Order: sequence, then structure tokens, then C-alpha cells
Amino acid sequence: MNFISHLQKRNIVASNLNGPLQHGEYEWQDPKSEEEVVNVVFVTKDGKRIPVRGKIGDNVLYLAHRYGIEMEGACEASLACTTCHVYVQNEYFDKLPAAEESEEDLLDMAPFLKENSRLGCQIILTKELDGIELRLPTATRNFYVDGHVPQPH
Amino acid sequence: MLQRFGIRIAFMTRSLKDSVLQKDSTRRYLVTQLETTASRLSSEPSVSNMEELKKATREGRVDLEYRPLYLDAQATTPLDPRVLDALMPYLISLYGNPHSRTHAYGWESEAATETARKQVANIIGADPKEIVFTSGATESNNIAVKGVARFYREKKRHLITTQTEHKCVLDSCRALENEGFDITYLPIQKSGLINLKDLEAAIRPDTVLVSIMTVNNEIGIKQPISEIGRICRAKKVFFHTDAAQAVGKIPLDVNEMNIDLMSISGHKIYGPKGIGALYIRRRPRVRVEPLQSGGGQERGMRSGTVPTPLVVGLGAACHVAHKEMSYDHARLEHISRRLVDKIMAELPDVIRNGDPEHSYPGCVNLSFAYVEGESLLMALKDVALSSGSACTSASLEPSYVLRAIGADEDLAHSSIRFGFGRYTTEEEVDYTAEKCIQHVKRLREMSPLWEMIQEGIDIKSIQWTQH
Repeated sequence: MNFISHLQKRNIVASNLNGPLQHGEYEWQDPKSEEEVVNVVFVTKDGKRIPVRGKIGDNVLYLAHRYGIEMEGACEASLACTTCHVYVQNEYFDKLPAAEESEEDLLDMAPFLKENSRLGCQIILTKELDGIELRLPTATRNFYVDGHVPQPH
Repeated sequence: MLQRFGIRIAFMTRSLKDSVLQKDSTRRYLVTQLETTASRLSSEPSVSNMEELKKATREGRVDLEYRPLYLDAQATTPLDPRVLDALMPYLISLYGNPHSRTHAYGWESEAATETARKQVANIIGADPKEIVFTSGATESNNIAVKGVARFYREKKRHLITTQTEHKCVLDSCRALENEGFDITYLPIQKSGLINLKDLEAAIRPDTVLVSIMTVNNEIGIKQPISEIGRICRAKKVFFHTDAAQAVGKIPLDVNEMNIDLMSISGHKIYGPKGIGALYIRRRPRVRVEPLQSGGGQERGMRSGTVPTPLVVGLGAACHVAHKEMSYDHARLEHISRRLVDKIMAELPDVIRNGDPEHSYPGCVNLSFAYVEGESLLMALKDVALSSGSACTSASLEPSYVLRAIGADEDLAHSSIRFGFGRYTTEEEVDYTAEKCIQHVKRLREMSPLWEMIQEGIDIKSIQWTQH
């Protein structure tokens, strides 16, 4: 753990890795009780609303991958791309912790940026965010004009 | 070695020839001279060709001897030789694209671009990551005004600017008005400065941006940037300043002055034309909607290949300006006062537009009453000057800046702008002053208005007929 935090301080490793390195296994587990449940509604770029039952501590990107939502996550939550860009519902925007500088720098590069934009891989669900609505933008940096949808890896 | 040198000159002259204006006999002469020299050098390397080379330079040419004195530093400035030295390698051999990540050409160009970024950041007290390179201050102003307004358009709908801003800022504001924004154009006082109370009163809860230029390009007035920045920071409004005429000439610090966005121009500070920069604050973050879409270069705000030679030139110009700022400022103050004192001593009825206490000394705008501005400019044909009025532009209306400071129509038509730079000498200033005095006296002799004044008639009481 000391080694990882040392690398985090030197910005070699992403700062959100504050635990054993995860790749979405945690999000595949169902919530154990009703107190853990955090309801999230994903709105795709076509306007389709997909309600999802997440739990406390879930990473929004991997939760989306579990339920087949088209959030690309090319860099696997390591703060290196902008493909998990989402619009957070205004009422919940202030409940999220402030974005770090590296996230803000990446958001500068995201297309169709709005005031309520965040990176999905940096949103960790808490009970406060119950009922949050996350809208996907019409395109990400890897805009596939031929209709290709990349599969989560 | 001389042969390689000759081939290189041959290559340069060929490209020079392609880019040369057909009508410019001076350049055609120079090119033919270089070509003959190049062919001689590449075929028979010999030292006797130095004579040919010398003839191609200024000493040998008769028709190059009389070029007008350049006193129009606000329009543009000559390239500093040190800047030319810095950017030449990037035009000739280090020609890689700075965004090429995979080879040495790209790496060396990127290193040069980043060094230039640091040099530009240093002169305004910013972090290099906050500098975005653009094609000039006009593009920077467009990105700042339109980009900020459009990004925050959902909650904020109001912008504040002044009546004396540069055309690109005023035109951007007009375009935004078309999109449904409200713009307040603050008036300025007779001194040329804005009233800070007016500004505070104009800020509304839905104001997103205040845009006020640091040094005006027509009358040289310096606005109280620190105070404006303080007001804007207190009211949580973004503050943009067009510092094209101020960077490298007066000390600027974006943190002390609470500036959120700043436009920088290359060719006003002895750098190349076609390059500028925009400072965009990162803490607290200012977001802009990009005007130019593409591969996301320059933090996504200005896509497009960054032109390494121009950027290196801008960086070098900023570096030189940083070192020589106080020396230049002191010297310009001296020659500016020299010109104004000389002219005011000899000629009555000369009005200086803009408060001299709050002016940048390199820009002096004088109105010579009872003399037509155009005719004075024509008379001073061996000095390159600019008129403060818009006679030189398409419309016949006098300059909106002079109208904003309350200059009467007739005075606005008789104004001349003297622009001093790093290379303006005392002799040039003395010569200009003498010629100016001589011609103003001559033109006033011919002027019926001047006759009437001499006889004691009050011009303002006369009813000129409407036609």
C-alpha cells in the first residue's frame, strides 16, 4: 500500500486506486441488503432510460459495464482518457467530491463539455447519490462515425 | 563546404522566388543577385564572389536609401533579430510536427514548443499549462469572449465590455447579441479611463465575463487592471483582458491582477505575425467552448498543428521583452516626452487624447486643431504614421475611440497617432517633430478656420449650413 501511495504522489499511478486494484469484480456482486442499494438511472444518447441497482462503493464505469450500458472506459478508470464522460444531474452535482486537477484537465479535452460534466470512472456511489441520473453525451473522443460500439474489456 | 552553402542559398532563393510579389522590384533585384551568387558559388567556389554578395546588400543599393521612418508601433513592430535567430532552425531543418509522438523530429519540435510556452508564461506570471497558442490576439479574443459566453450560456446571459475595445472584441459581442446575450458597453471618461463605480453597478447576477483591454491601441491609455480584477473576483465574474499592446511593455501578473483570461499578440512585441496566445486560468478553472474543432490539441481549446517556428518566435520575443522591459520603458518615456514637449512648445492648440498620467508612453495620440488629419499624414510622407481617425478605414466616420473620450468631430478628424518602439531613435523623433511643426504651420496658414480663430471669431457659434 505504501508503494502504491508513493507512486500516486508522484503521479505515476492514478489517485483513485486507494485499495487493492479493481477491474470491475466488485460491481458484479449484488447488493447484500437494502441499505447498501443505490439506485442509478442511466440515460443513453438516444434518450433511453435504464434504471440500475448499484451499491455503495461501486464505480459507475464498471457498474455501467455490468449492465451493458455504452460507456466506453478505454483506459480502465486510470484517468487517461475521456470516454466515460457523463452529465450529472444538477441536484446531485454538488454532492460529488470535487474533481482533482488531472480529472479537470481531462475534462477540458472532452467533447460536448457542460458545466455538470464529470468522468464516470471517478464517481464512487454513496447513499447520498441514491436516485442519481447520469446522462451519456452524444459522442466521446473516439467518435465512431461508422456506428461501431466497442465492447468492454 | 562552400558548395553545400551554395546549394542551400540556391534552395532558399528558389523558395524566395516562389513567394515573392511580382511587383516588388526591390525583392526581385535581391533575388536575382542571390541567385547569380548561388550559381557562382556552387559551380566555382571562390572568395571573389564576396563582391557580388556585398552589392546585394543595402550599401550597394541606391533606391533602398530612402524608406520612411517607422513610427507606427501599434500597427505592428519589426522582427527582433534575436527572434529571427531563434526561429530560423525551425524553418529550415527542425521541421517536425510537434504532435508527432514517435520520432525525433516530433520530439525536438515539441521540446521547442514547450520551451516557448514557458517563456510566454513567465512574462505574465502564469503556469505554462495555462497558455494556449492561437493565430493571433484576434483569435484569442474570439475564443475568450465567445467561448466563455457559450459554455456558461445556460445560467449566465450577460457580458460587460467597454466602448473603446478592439474591433474583434466588439464584433464578438455583437455576434453574441445575435445569439441572445445581453451586452453592456461601458462608457469611458474624458481621460480615457473607465469609471470603476459604473463597472460595479453594471455587474448583474447573471454576468459571466468582463472584457476590458489593458492598453488601448489608439490612445495608449492604461486601464486600472488590478482594481478591475479585484472587483470581478469579488463578484465571481470572469475577467478577460486584451493585452496585445501591453505584454512585454508593462509588467503584468495574472495572479496579482486577478486576470482569468488574457490575449497576447506576437507581432506587437517584435515577434512574428500570425501567432498569438491565450492565457486561460486553471485555478479556479475557466472553461471555454472551442471555436475550432479537431484533434484536441492545445487542451482541446484550439485544435490544429501548433506552428513551431512561429511559436518559438513568440517565445523568444517574450524572453527578450522580459529582459529589456524596464530599459525600453525608460527610453520610450524619454523620447515620447521629447516629442510631445517639442510639438507643444512650438504649436498652440494641440490636444493630447487620453490622460498622459495613465498612458503607455509608446503611444501618443495628438489632435492638431484646424488641420485636417489626412492632409497632415500626406505631408509627413517620409514618416510612417497612422491617423487616429478612421479616414484610413472604409467609413468616413471618425474613430469610435476618440468619439468615446468626447473629442469633437473636427478634433477627431485631425488626430495623429505616434507609435514609438524599441528601434525608434532620438534623431527620428526630432526629425518627426520638426516636420510636424513645419507642416502644421503651413497647413494652418491655408486654413480658413485658423484665420477665423486669429481674428477672434468663436467657431462654435457659427451656424454651418446643412448640406
